[in-house]
Amino acid sequence: MTEELRVAVDRRGANGAIMYTKGYINNVGGEEIANRAYELMDADVRSLLLNLRETKIVNSIGISILIEIIEKMIDKGGRIGFCCLTPVIHKTFQIMGLANYASIYPDEDAAAKEMGL
Amino acid sequence: MTATAERQMELTLPMVPDIEIAAARAAGNLARELGMPSESIDEMAHAMIEACINAREHSGSADRRIYVRITGTSLGEGSSRIDIWITDHGRGFDVTEARSRRQKLGTVHKRGWGLQIIEAHMDEVSITTSEGGTTIHMVKIGKEHD
Repeated sequence: MTEELRVAVDRRGANGAIMYTKGYINNVGGEEIANRAYELMDADVRSLLLNLRETKIVNSIGISILIEIIEKMIDKGGRIGFCCLTPVIHKTFQIMGLANYASIYPDEDAAAKEMGL
Repeated sequence: MTATAERQMELTLPMVPDIEIAAARAAGNLARELGMPSESIDEMAHAMIEACINAREHSGSADRRIYVRITGTSLGEGSSRIDIWITDHGRGFDVTEARSRRQKLGTVHKRGWGLQIIEAHMDEVSITTSEGGTTIHMVKIGKEHD
């Protein structure tokens, strides 16, 4: 039954990174993303793109953790973007207000260009 | 137009982590049999996930069970309807208070969005709640794309 989330990171330059997620973003998956994101912030990453191409399900607890990550990145003067969302995940992000504080891009190329990655 | 339920399913699920995925998959399979479009199924799945999480995390039920009933109905002309009832035997909750929650960055109120998500993804939602438990009835109507 467990839908374990997998995370991979591609560093882009000194201050950028793209994080790829695969699987269910619930409380456990959200914490995994947070741990990796905080490691990257500690390593001076200030422009972080989350590519959710292989994530088809999220829940509100997982999204609340993503919002905490955004808050921390904003506190550090950085920014977070998301790309490759399913229509339903995009809609859920909008419902929870996440889209007000992080940029959402249709694909990785557009995101990387806009975020300088 | 005939609108009798063609598919029915009842599940009794333990309140364990990720059990919401099992409920969502069951409903999704039933909806696919009726030809419901994938985006409608995804919306329904996300609503079910939130309803099951609410029951698991907040009901305080002594029996630690979620009771799920799903019916599927073909409405004709490529349309289908899924009715879902999710019941717990917990302590109930204040629906008005739950609906009024709004998250803001910089506050501690990041949780409690389940009901808003459910109502946004489903076509109809009704809630019956008391000190003896809660039932949330959700309806999704899907129409095949041309």
